[in-house]
Amino acid sequence: MDDYRNGSGAPAQGPSFAPQTIDAHPLAFTGGGGEYFRVWIVNVLLSIVTLGLYTPWARRRTAQYFYGHTQVAGSPLEFTAPQGKMVKGFVLLTMIMLAYNIAANSGQDTAVALFLLAGALLAPYIWASAMRFRLASTRWRGLRLQFAASWREVYTASWPVFALALVWMGVVFGLQALAPEAAAAVQALAGDKPSLSMPRITAPMVGLVLLGLVLSVLCFIRLEYNYKSLLVLRAHLGTEPGRWKPVYTDFVRVWLATVAVFLLCVLGIAVVVAALTGGSAMMLKGIGSRSAQWIFLVVIAGMVVLFFLLFLASTPALAYREARMFQLLWNNIGLGQVARFKCDLGTRSYVGLRIRNLLFTLLTLGLYRPFARVSEYRMKLESVTLHVKGGVDQVTGALARQQEGGLGDALADAAGLDLIG
Amino acid sequence: MSTPEQAALISGRWFDGQSSKARPVMVGLRSTPQGPSLVLHPLSQPGAEPIVFHWKEVGWPEAWNERKPQPRVVVDLQGHGSVEIDAVADWRTALAAAGARPGLAQRMQTRWGVLLAVLLAAAIGLTLFYRHGTPWMATQLTRWVPLDWETAMADQGLRQMDDGLLKPSQLPPERQAQLRARFDALARQIPPALQRYPDYAPQWTLEFRKGMGANAFALPGGQVIMTDGLVQAATRKGLDDDALVGVLAHEIGHVVHRHTTRMLVEQGVLQMGLGLALGDVSGILSTGSALLTGLHYRRGHEREADCFALGLMRHAALPTAPMGTLLLAIAHDEDEEEKGNGKKPGASRPSPKAPDGTAHPIWSLLSSHPDTVERATALRQGQAAHCAAP
Repeated sequence: MDDYRNGSGAPAQGPSFAPQTIDAHPLAFTGGGGEYFRVWIVNVLLSIVTLGLYTPWARRRTAQYFYGHTQVAGSPLEFTAPQGKMVKGFVLLTMIMLAYNIAANSGQDTAVALFLLAGALLAPYIWASAMRFRLASTRWRGLRLQFAASWREVYTASWPVFALALVWMGVVFGLQALAPEAAAAVQALAGDKPSLSMPRITAPMVGLVLLGLVLSVLCFIRLEYNYKSLLVLRAHLGTEPGRWKPVYTDFVRVWLATVAVFLLCVLGIAVVVAALTGGSAMMLKGIGSRSAQWIFLVVIAGMVVLFFLLFLASTPALAYREARMFQLLWNNIGLGQVARFKCDLGTRSYVGLRIRNLLFTLLTLGLYRPFARVSEYRMKLESVTLHVKGGVDQVTGALARQQEGGLGDALADAAGLDLIG
Repeated sequence: MSTPEQAALISGRWFDGQSSKARPVMVGLRSTPQGPSLVLHPLSQPGAEPIVFHWKEVGWPEAWNERKPQPRVVVDLQGHGSVEIDAVADWRTALAAAGARPGLAQRMQTRWGVLLAVLLAAAIGLTLFYRHGTPWMATQLTRWVPLDWETAMADQGLRQMDDGLLKPSQLPPERQAQLRARFDALARQIPPALQRYPDYAPQWTLEFRKGMGANAFALPGGQVIMTDGLVQAATRKGLDDDALVGVLAHEIGHVVHRHTTRMLVEQGVLQMGLGLALGDVSGILSTGSALLTGLHYRRGHEREADCFALGLMRHAALPTAPMGTLLLAIAHDEDEEEKGNGKKPGASRPSPKAPDGTAHPIWSLLSSHPDTVERATALRQGQAAHCAAP
């Protein structure tokens, strides 16, 4: 993809003769946590007063705050999504959710299955609509970003989803061949009927399931890779297309490192917990079997603590993955022959920030969230430097194919899309 | 050009949407009845006519901070690109001078007084809505729910419970028939004054099951389930069938008031509304408040069913005191049992159940136990303060 050139390739007139200088523009965030706290609290209040109906306006205000304070080569970004479309999508999505909730709560299994099936089939469409909406709503120096992937390309890029389904069908058939009684047990489990005899678990069966799991993870990584690369390669600013260098194995490496970090965290927490419970088990013995209710409570509390610990262990791993992925992308993408990005995000400092933010957010019952959001956004954004060859005013606009304002766009925006990635 | 407009000219850079090249412009604001319009004077073509954009054709950027304006502001000209302005403070002054009225969000954003006023209004409004609005709305919406839908839901719920929690009853058939006759007689006697939904005609049936302790519950659509444990508890305490008939009246109350359906609607509104409003603050806060409000509704339903039972029993000239005694005795047994084996049995008192039949232990802990004594006392006296006068 290195020589992805569009038409004439070089900027239209003049500058190609002059010696082209490369300017470095560090990206900057000019907002602040305290200021965003007020944006956020206003959104929360108005959402409460309007019973949640304010949500699309709140989303737009949030996006405009972050975009308006993001300086790219001295010019702020603009978020220009039409409010009407956002409201329409929000109302539609709320109705669908309500219908789904009612169907699920009243036990209408056919309707629920239909909802889920439609959701799965439409997921690539919704993803692409979301990206189209998000990019088209982003403007810089008067030029809109565009996402120009065709539906065919989107569904082709989604092949890992279908591969995933095949993998699990294969696993089930394989299990059936290896041990018919085990497959029957699986079916009984699915049918909510207690199976009488526990099937004997053999090594090939475990191997098969493990193989299925590994293949699934590989499919997920492939899906992420496909979508990210499609997004960058089919994104345009004016006539300049996106550039993409990472390969699939880069993604796999990040995932492997993430799993290693997660296991390390679990190990560390397990050691600490073992040291602590050694003490409390003695204490329990002291209380004795005076009250059985106590044991019941202790078990419940233990489960809660276990979940909390898993949550704690996953936070560093998730932050690590986010940082590594961010570095991988922003060191390897660009815009035509005009722009490259470089990123010097510190993995360790980002993970530290995320853990600190999580603790403060928990301690303040969520009130710290806006400060956390700003500090994470700032750290990521300000780690990126934009290198431009030949000046920032050379990009020409392409005649944008005006989007027909499809329902998908509006729906996608409401579908919980995190605008401030 | 007129003088006031001249005074308000602010320099800016115009990006026309065709290229990333900036064009120097002067921006003026003109006051109109709808709001200020924006006048763009391109400086690159000296003789060119200024371009006028009406109030509606401009995306006006919000002011986030009155004391410390952002370093650069971008005005959205929609199809005509955008204008970048460095002199943000001058821009704000000119906008105010041209008669721009900031929206509520911006006033809350920049003035603490407005924010506090809305905070207060929100607290009051929220309380009123979730206390009175949602139950009222659920009551009205339930009018449109067809009976078939309720019956289908009840059948499915009962089937699920029969798979695990419940077993066939071991009461002798003649005893079952005896109680069923009392039940049918009671259901026939419901006076029109006690009918909550005038056109609602449920199919009244009484079923017996074993399991779930001493319990009785109503399924939407008119099925009432009574467990062997409850019948035995009444016998053990030496109470006659009037106690059991009282419990049945309470369950009939749940059906007549369509509590299960109303609860479904209420839960839906709660989860959606509070999830959207508080979800961004914290999940604990939004689920917690949804849970507590749900409990409040549930207690309201119990009270309503008690009042119905009092009314129906009075109409049928039957005493409610035995039912109160039974209620107290069961609650007492339950406490003993808890102390004994430390295991929490399912909620054992006449209560509406979710269609899946799982009475959450925490719910019964929070909702039923504190006011069992109060309820039983009211039933023994045959009247309750919270019931409307017959």
